[in-house]
Amino acid sequence: MTNVLEIKKLSKSFGDLKVLDAIDLTVSKGSTVVIIGASGSGKSTLLRCVNFMEIPSAGQIVLQGDLIGSGTGESMSYSDSELAKMRARVGMVFQHFNLFPHMTVKQNVMEGPRTVLKCNTAECERRADRYLEKVGLGWKADAYPSHLSGGQQQRVAIARALAMEPEVMLFDEATSALDPELVGEVLQTMKELADDGMTMLIVTHELGFAYTVADRVLFLSEGKILEQGDPEAVLINPKQEATKNFLRGHGSFRLPEPNLD
Amino acid sequence: MGYEWDFAIVFRDFDLLLLGLVNTLKVTGFALLFGVPLGLVLALARLYGVAIIRVPVGFVIEFLRSTPPIAQLFWFFFAMPLLLDIEIDPFEAAVITFSLQSSAFFAEVFRGGIASIDSGQWEASKALGMERNAQLRRIILPQAIKRMVPAFMERAIEVMKTTTLVGTISYADLLYEANSIAEETYRYLEVFTVAAGMYFVVIFICSMGVRHLEHYLGRTGEITTG
Repeated sequence: MTNVLEIKKLSKSFGDLKVLDAIDLTVSKGSTVVIIGASGSGKSTLLRCVNFMEIPSAGQIVLQGDLIGSGTGESMSYSDSELAKMRARVGMVFQHFNLFPHMTVKQNVMEGPRTVLKCNTAECERRADRYLEKVGLGWKADAYPSHLSGGQQQRVAIARALAMEPEVMLFDEATSALDPELVGEVLQTMKELADDGMTMLIVTHELGFAYTVADRVLFLSEGKILEQGDPEAVLINPKQEATKNFLRGHGSFRLPEPNLD
Repeated sequence: MGYEWDFAIVFRDFDLLLLGLVNTLKVTGFALLFGVPLGLVLALARLYGVAIIRVPVGFVIEFLRSTPPIAQLFWFFFAMPLLLDIEIDPFEAAVITFSLQSSAFFAEVFRGGIASIDSGQWEASKALGMERNAQLRRIILPQAIKRMVPAFMERAIEVMKTTTLVGTISYADLLYEANSIAEETYRYLEVFTVAAGMYFVVIFICSMGVRHLEHYLGRTGEITTG
């Protein structure tokens, strides 16, 4: 299998605070990798370093064989235009959706292809229609974001990222800002993407989702990957004490199987 | 009591007042035409320029904001021509002064508007692969300008009112014409009442127009309009 993304010895510090410590991670084509960990463990920073929303302090990112930036692993330099081109190849979905409020749903989805990829109008429209349909919101094309529910907004944000036809999708706690009853529709959309073979790197607190959808789960602690493996290994039979504690915290209050018939 | 109002005299010379109004609008219009784009440039320089640009620009903005417009007007009309050995007419001096003076205020309006945009908008457009210019042009400024409309209008009205200073360098604006008519006819009450009324009508109509504009811009729902 080809590797879409290779992260080599990635470190990130904010001042004296070391948030990521020499992370190595490879994401193969079509796989879904879920990153879990306590808040402050560096999981969002890791995701944000992948598309250079944060500039790594050290280490290298290789996207489909292309090393981003130039230099040795210890000190890399990047040009603005190179990073912009790289980001266009990587889709990102944010906790707070960040739709463009002055544009309709359809214009939101067309914006990237139009402004960044310089697609013609017909192609922009084709992509918008296609990806809005994919997230089940074709019928909201002409609405403004403020008129949508949080779940719908997040699905539009997913369509907006997909319209760039990215090589990998990043999800940064995509359901954390949603009311509980809206979480399901977004997770469902993400699952469908995974089933379609999209390469995805996901930071989430939804362990049930991780268990169902992930090919691989990483447990991040203090800027390091403490444990990783298939969902069964990490989420059901964790080996590390920190992972067990984390899962204990998440499992303190749990429903038995609800009777939904 | 006993003052007999006589507006007939005023209306006999009404064409002069109208001419004055046109001149007022001309100075205001040109000041806005140059002042608004210049304000945007100053704001961007102050926000995103390197230090060697940012600091002087900040100083110029503060200087223009902190000196009386009439002193600036006199400087451009009386002092600058001496310095540069050029001739300048009152209209040119007025346009230069009020363009610069208003640009400093517009710069602050732009800066506030841009700074008020949620950082998530920068992030989302950046993540799509946009570079700074595209982010500003497509995402940030369209939203910022919407929020700035009321403040813009406030400033534009302020500019129009400040242009009454041009009479001091003998530019025949509305107030200057009113003053000449009043001195000829001694009908100060009537003349200045009508002149004030004319300012009011123009500014009031503009305000109403802006209110409709705000309402129209508010249709996307992300900002609330009073």
